[in-house]
Amino acid sequence: MEALLPRFRDANTQVLGVSVDSVYSHANWARDLGGISFPLLSDFEPKGAMAKSLGVYLDGPGITDRATIVIDSAGVVRHASSVGPGGQRGIDDLAALCAQSDREARTPVVPFSKPAGLASDAVLYVKSRCGFSRAVLLARDNLHLAAKLPVRNVTEDAAARSELVRVSGKEQAPCLVVGGAAKLESAEIIAVLRDAALGSLV
Amino acid sequence: MISPGATAPDFTLADHLGRKVRLSDFRGRHHVCLLFYPLDWTPT
Repeated sequence: MEALLPRFRDANTQVLGVSVDSVYSHANWARDLGGISFPLLSDFEPKGAMAKSLGVYLDGPGITDRATIVIDSAGVVRHASSVGPGGQRGIDDLAALCAQSDREARTPVVPFSKPAGLASDAVLYVKSRCGFSRAVLLARDNLHLAAKLPVRNVTEDAAARSELVRVSGKEQAPCLVVGGAAKLESAEIIAVLRDAALGSLV
Repeated sequence: MISPGATAPDFTLADHLGRKVRLSDFRGRHHVCLLFYPLDWTPT
């Protein structure tokens, strides 16, 4: 899927994965996939509510069907199909279908935004045994930023800790420092990394 | 399953990065391809 994403973008189409798993399960699975560049949506609470609204929830096993639904930019369904929960989706054919749907839809579209990129001086400070640090590190890996964003562990490295205090004025981590400015909220840090790597969704 | 030609009901769900994603945000901007799959650690 990841390799074919450019073809979906060329078709002005945003790919969204959906299952009934939690956000945390999605984040860990994304890491096991080697990072992903499209959102995995969590239809978790109330379980399957969104899938039910589109008629693709399977009541017995309590999961979503392996269904594919293409919606044009006017909000109208252009394609809906399923290969069954154990089936295999043809992503290549789907990319072709989205391209065709884009040509036929003639509904308004705007180009996808370009990723902002990450400044070369960016550094991420983290702590050991810290859930927020772990979440930010997971996002970094999932956004393919592992090679671009150096990490310094302030629990294990006293020099890193002094550096963090000098730059941000406190020992709080996770902390993302870009151009001398420190960000301390993990949700905000993840948002900066996301925009750097992927650009905004809309 | 919803049929082609029907208007998709709006939804707001969190993604794996904790961001809220709303279908209506794409209105007038991009088409959307929803890939439902049974569970994580199964193929998309």
